[in-house]
Amino acid sequence: MNAMFKALGLGAIVLGASLSGAAAVERGGILTYARQADSRLLDPVYNQGNVNIWVLSSMYDTLILPTDDGKGLKPGLATNWQVSKDGLTVTLHLRDDIKFSDGTPITAEDVRWSLERAANPEHGIWNFMLGSIDNVEARDEKTILLHLKHTDPAILPALSVFNAAIMPEKQYEATKGASDEDKAKTFAQHPVGSGPFVLTTWERGSSMKLARNPHYWAKGEDGKPLPYLDGINFEIIPDDATRILKLQSGEIDGAEMIPYARVNELKQDPAVDMELFPSTRVQYVTLNVRPKLEGEKNPLFDLKVRQALNYAANKQAIIQIVTHGVGKPMTSFMSSGTPMQTGTKPLYPYDLAKAKALLKDAGYPDGFETSIMVIAGNQDEIGIATTLQQMWSQLGVKLDIQQVDDGTRDTVYRNGTFHMRLSVWTDDIADPSEFASYALYPPTIGALHTGWSNDKATKLFEASQQELDPKKRLEEYAQMQKIFNTSGPTVPLYETPYAVALSKNLHGFNQIPLGNNIFRWAWLSR
Amino acid sequence: MASLSFILRRILQMIPTILFILVVTFVLVRLLPGDPATVMLGDRGREADIARINAQLGLDKPLVVQFLYFIANVFSGNLGNSIALRVPVTTLLVERLPVTLLLTGMAAAIAVIFSVPLGFWAALRQNRASDTIIRGTFQVGLSMPVFYVGLLLLIFFGAHLHWFPIGGYGHGFGDHLYHLFLPAVTLALSLSAVLMRNLRSAILNVIDAEYVDFARSKGLRGYVILVRHVLRNAVISTVTLFGLQVGVLLGGAVITETVFAIPGAGRLMIDSIYGRDYPVIQGLTISLAIVVSLIFLATDLLQAWLDPRIMR
Amino acid sequence: MSDIATSQPDGDAGRKKGRRISISFATGIVILIVSLILAFFPSAFAPYDPNVFDYNAILQAPSSAHLFGTDNFGRDMFSRVIHAYTLDMQIAVFATIVPAIVGTLIGAFVGYVGGITESVFGRIVDATITFPFLVLVIAIVSVLGPGLINMYIAVGIIDWVFYGRLTLGEIKVQKRLDYAAAGQVMGYRPSRIIFRHLLPNSMTPALVYWMTDMALCILLGSSLGYLGLGAQPPAAEWGVLIADGKNFMTSAWWISVFPGIAIVITGLGFSLLGDGITELLRTK
Repeated sequence: MNAMFKALGLGAIVLGASLSGAAAVERGGILTYARQADSRLLDPVYNQGNVNIWVLSSMYDTLILPTDDGKGLKPGLATNWQVSKDGLTVTLHLRDDIKFSDGTPITAEDVRWSLERAANPEHGIWNFMLGSIDNVEARDEKTILLHLKHTDPAILPALSVFNAAIMPEKQYEATKGASDEDKAKTFAQHPVGSGPFVLTTWERGSSMKLARNPHYWAKGEDGKPLPYLDGINFEIIPDDATRILKLQSGEIDGAEMIPYARVNELKQDPAVDMELFPSTRVQYVTLNVRPKLEGEKNPLFDLKVRQALNYAANKQAIIQIVTHGVGKPMTSFMSSGTPMQTGTKPLYPYDLAKAKALLKDAGYPDGFETSIMVIAGNQDEIGIATTLQQMWSQLGVKLDIQQVDDGTRDTVYRNGTFHMRLSVWTDDIADPSEFASYALYPPTIGALHTGWSNDKATKLFEASQQELDPKKRLEEYAQMQKIFNTSGPTVPLYETPYAVALSKNLHGFNQIPLGNNIFRWAWLSR
Repeated sequence: MASLSFILRRILQMIPTILFILVVTFVLVRLLPGDPATVMLGDRGREADIARINAQLGLDKPLVVQFLYFIANVFSGNLGNSIALRVPVTTLLVERLPVTLLLTGMAAAIAVIFSVPLGFWAALRQNRASDTIIRGTFQVGLSMPVFYVGLLLLIFFGAHLHWFPIGGYGHGFGDHLYHLFLPAVTLALSLSAVLMRNLRSAILNVIDAEYVDFARSKGLRGYVILVRHVLRNAVISTVTLFGLQVGVLLGGAVITETVFAIPGAGRLMIDSIYGRDYPVIQGLTISLAIVVSLIFLATDLLQAWLDPRIMR
Repeated sequence: MSDIATSQPDGDAGRKKGRRISISFATGIVILIVSLILAFFPSAFAPYDPNVFDYNAILQAPSSAHLFGTDNFGRDMFSRVIHAYTLDMQIAVFATIVPAIVGTLIGAFVGYVGGITESVFGRIVDATITFPFLVLVIAIVSVLGPGLINMYIAVGIIDWVFYGRLTLGEIKVQKRLDYAAAGQVMGYRPSRIIFRHLLPNSMTPALVYWMTDMALCILLGSSLGYLGLGAQPPAAEWGVLIADGKNFMTSAWWISVFPGIAIVITGLGFSLLGDGITELLRTK
């Protein structure tokens, strides 16, 4: 705990100075940024995916902010906070003079209401991150107390997650709508928030315009209020090649989701600043390890078979072919950007002889037939599957590639009737518990719907969820990772950064490992 | 008067067509594996959340009940709300449909402007150099995938020459036309090839027909023969084909809109199929069906004008 | 007469130009015969296994070792383009032959019978082609699952109405001409009138469209490939090859250009064949 607090204190000092001393910033200008897909619902609580999450932090601020490396915390709307000795109460102190984008003050009551709304188990799908909150108390105008049902080592990071954003109670409750969700839909069309920018116009599927929030609290390098930019135009350009072309011809200042195949080429382009922001993104194969599948014996149930597939998958080759050298091998099932990741060396180095021996031991000397689901038209996934098909054919394993759309894949996945699928994970919270809960704690979603379970891992996870001693929790996570990495239901492939191409005029933009696009320190030189 | 009753009859005929389309669409989208909540929540969805959301959407009710609700709503002008985008379907239609109609309209116009004169020219110069060049060029156009042609045009006319913007839709009517020019050309390529080839062969057919010889022997001037007899009779099957290709054109808009980042209905349709956004798929299908039916009506009238005997 | 004079020789040549017709017609036939040979015996011409990776030869430009270069897996593009003939000739023929024949026959029948049959047919045509074609194919393929067989089914469900409607229109024109009426007066069976008289004179538009349709179906495979719903990896199919090469359009043009040329040449073969056949029908 104490170590964590020291880090937090430091964060407060570093806040304004997170731009590493480059040229003096210039104010003004509108940044045009091309996104692959449009947002759908700009409500922190009811939104359902990265298309919303990645821009929400520009419109709504949280009490605590994630640091640029995505692993630590720093003050946001709250300047400091304490956790009681028994770990059951968190006290937070609000910053002075903070206002919503319409100029009304942000009060402790707004905070209480926002957090209770976010923690309500009936609301949206993210409330589990605040599940330990019993109730929130606005003790006075500047002091908020969280009363917890049980100790929760992840409660502070949870307050930095998008769904814990602070919203204006009065303006929200005055919105028309039969239910809270109906209100959210209407409110999110013209949100009043606490973030550095505020939504002005939104042409769905085409463009979204944000203007600077004149009431934003944080100060820039020049001592004047952030943000530096006058506004942001998000343009929706679904086709990768068109997005890149538009950047190269100078029509836009930034483009997200650059295909890895284009990264090296764009690095050579003098007009483009090809950024590879560290992420928490991991790519792996999920294996269905139920004893029987479609009424027949499932080879993937056998640990030796899974190990054989792992050893026979040449990750370095996949990284070269699919990510064109951009990725790196995984050292644990969690990304190296996730806190408490304890991996040191790449998992399952390529060893075909060992793989063949393992498969023979398992009773499949001539291999077997299986299938893998990939998202139709997704070049990365098709590339991986084609490569695995080739590699595993060395074992006699015949891999049938099934291209499907998301809806089909997720349905088959949820029913537990798939053989294999390709999967990607990105953390939403600077804590390992989110992914661990999905991956190895069966009550959440049945260990990635694989049917895998391990009693020891389950117990370790349950203990770690209430463990306040960071050292002990780290030890628990080390053990969980060891179990999952050696016997789990996946074939870990690689970690990749976020590939974002920027114009040379854009400075100070960052996409943190959790995916959030941080525009508050971005500025344009002319 | 005959033509008025013809139009009325055709409009009445549209009703069963559209009803049939409604039923097919309703059934087809529900045959797609998965449900809206599963897609929305993706691979992180938890059972309880998915069940709760589907119940909120009324998707836990029997299919027949859902269909009756849907039909009743359609007749009261309510197409429901988009599940994924959380706005009324009618709002989306008003935003997106005109974009796609403008795009396909421009594409159709471009296709006709290119294919009719060149088809004529090619037929009259049958098997000569110009005929070969025209057919060869159209053949290349016909053989290029839309997304590939689109990108080539963007690279050349957008990025290199800066004559046209790289994707987008712009603001204001003139700007829309400017933004849609390259995508319309892209979309027009295969249609103009199809029309050109059909027209060329139809003209050759007619030129060989005996009544042209007959007209010639009557000493009518050549162009009168061409216009009055050849063009009229040759164009009938081309008009039929044009009507048939409207649906193909609208389908092609899906990819064109993706490549050129145009916020149109084609892209919305695909996103909605992938997103299992039932109300949007249904709403779009109905409105597209009405639009296409009206275009059929127009081509029928055009044919009737070309050859009054068709109107029975 | 001066205007028409330019086209006059053509009209006359229709009877004496046998040699000229046969050149373009022959070209078409040669292209298709070569295509068929490649489709049946690709391995005899392809220097490499089309699916084997070569990590040491990734994204290589065309050279004497790799005539069409290599793709991002180090696969030989020449061998992949050659092997794709098998699938693409299948697509061109299998996707279109059933709808072309069935559609034309139904169109002829409906056109001959007329009346209520024609109204019903008209509604079916309207309902089918009112759907945006690609969208309907995508929806059907999504329900049935991706892959070529399901693509044939999806195309077949829709495509036949094009032939039906085209033939119907022509039949109605032909029916009004004297010889059909004469046939009826002479007491010929309807099947004889349809097959001997009406159909041969009415199938030109359908035939011309068929030849275009084959090229269009290969292209549809490409659009579906762009969306991932066409031929499944590692199979080589021109449309999918082009879609796969899209990311490399600027850095490795050869991945997408050579399959494109193959589509153009094959499409040209089909259309020359179609033109040749219609010319034969005309000059009979």
